Amino acid sequence: MLECNEITKTYGRKTAIDHVSMKLEPGHIYAMLGPNGSGKTTIMKMIVGLVKPNSGSILYRGVPVNKESRCEIAYMSTEPYFYSWMTAADVGKYYDDFFEDFSMERYLYLLERMELTPDMKTKTLSSGMMAKLKIAVTMARKAKVYLLDEPLNGIDLLARDVIIRTVIEECGPDVALVISSHLVDELERVVDSAIFMKEGRLVLMGEVEELRIQQGKSVVDLYREIYGHGGEA
Amino acid sequence: MGKLMKYEFRKTMFSKIVLLVITGVLEIVFLAGVFLNWDDGLGWGIIGLTLCAIIGIFYIGIESLMVFHRDLNTKQSYMLFLTPYNSYQILGAKVLENGISIFLAGCFYAALAALDLAIAIGYLGGLKELLEMIQIFLEQLEITITFTTVDSLLFVFEVLASWLMTVVTGILAVVLSATVLAGKRFSGLVSFLLFFLIAWGSSALMNRIPDTLAVTTSYLLSILAALACTAVMYLISGWIMERKLSV
Repeated sequence: MLECNEITKTYGRKTAIDHVSMKLEPGHIYAMLGPNGSGKTTIMKMIVGLVKPNSGSILYRGVPVNKESRCEIAYMSTEPYFYSWMTAADVGKYYDDFFEDFSMERYLYLLERMELTPDMKTKTLSSGMMAKLKIAVTMARKAKVYLLDEPLNGIDLLARDVIIRTVIEECGPDVALVISSHLVDELERVVDSAIFMKEGRLVLMGEVEELRIQQGKSVVDLYREIYGHGGEA
Repeated sequence: MGKLMKYEFRKTMFSKIVLLVITGVLEIVFLAGVFLNWDDGLGWGIIGLTLCAIIGIFYIGIESLMVFHRDLNTKQSYMLFLTPYNSYQILGAKVLENGISIFLAGCFYAALAALDLAIAIGYLGGLKELLEMIQIFLEQLEITITFTTVDSLLFVFEVLASWLMTVVTGILAVVLSATVLAGKRFSGLVSFLLFFLIAWGSSALMNRIPDTLAVTTSYLLSILAALACTAVMYLISGWIMERKLSV
C-alpha cells in the first residue's frame, strides 16, 4: 500500500533520514518508536509531501506520493498548525472544503466526545485541548492511511484513553494507522506492529507478536534495549 | 483552486476592511469639504484619499508577501501543503487572489477619483473654469496633451500590472530563500539582493519598449510585458517549490 524505498533526507551536514525502506499494509496499526531526533516526524512528513527526500522514493499504491495521495493519507502533526483566526468550527469547514473523505457530522460528534465545542477559538486552546482538536479533525476523515505524530503529547491520563479508543474505533480493515509516541507501554496495548527508529535509521520493524516470539521480548523491553544506554539493535 | 483563493482572501480580509473604513472616513471628509465649503476638509480629503489609494495598493502587495513568507516558514504551512493541491495551484491561488485584489483596489480608487472629480466640478464654483484655463494655457505653449479616457485607464492598469510583477518577484525571492538558500548563511540577505537583481532585470526588459510608439500602444505593450514577466516568475517559483520545498 505504502512503500518507502531507500529514502534519505539531509539538512546541511545532518542526516535526518538515512536510507530507510519500509512497507505499510492495510489492516495494521503501527507504533513508530524512537527518541526525539530519530526521524519519526521527518518520515511522516515525507509521506505526505511536506518534506522532499534527497534520494529514494515513496510510493502509494505503486505511484510516487503526490497531491492525489494526500486525498487518502491523513497526517496529524504534533505541532499546532491551524490559522490563529480559526475556531473549531472553522477548522472543520476548512477540512470539509478540501477533503472529500471528511465528514462534518462525524467531526461534530468527535468534538463532543473530546469535550470541545465548535465556537472555541484555536488560539486560546490549551495544549491538551489542541491535541484533541487535531485528533478530532484528522479522524473525521475516512482516510486509507493515518499518520499520527505524537497524538498523546500534552494529554492527561484519562483523555489518553478516550483518544486511543477513538483512534482505534475509526480504523477499519482497509486502513493503515501509524502512531508515533514516546509512551511505549500505552501503545503496546493497541498496536500490532512496531517500527523502531534510531538516529535516522530503521533499526527494527515487525509484528508485535512475531517480535515477541523471535526476540523473546515485549515492545517495551525491546525499546529499553535499543534506546537504553549503549543500546544497539 | 477557488477554495484556496477564498482562504487566501480570508487571511488578508482584516486589513482590507481597515483600508475600506479609512477610505470611507476620508471620503466623508472630502464630501463635507465640497458641500459645506470647508476648505480644510477638502484639502485633507484629497490628500488623504490620494495617500490611501497609493499606500493601500502598495500594502495589499506587501501583505501578500508577508503572508506567503509566514506560510512557508511557520507550521501554518501544513494547512496549505496538506491539501490535495500541487505547488503551482497553491502559488497560483495566491498570485491570482493578490492580482485580483490589486486590480479591484485600483479600479475602486480610480472610479472613486473620477466620481469625486465629477462632484467637485459640479459643486465647486470655478474648478471647471480652472481646468479649462490650464488647457488653454498649455495650448498657448503649444503643448498638446491628448490623454484620452482609454489612455488613463491603460496607465492605471500598467501601474497595477507593474506592481503585481514586483510582488511576484518578491514571491520568487521568498521561494529561493526557503528552498535553495534554506539553512545557508546570509540566505535572507542573498534573497533580498536577488530580489533587486530580478526586479532590475524585469524593469530593463520593460524599458526596451520604444519611446517612439503611440501612447496607447506603449501602455498596452508595457502591460503585456509586465504580465508575461509575472507569469514566467510564477512558473519558476512553482517549479522550485514543487521540487525543493520542505516545510
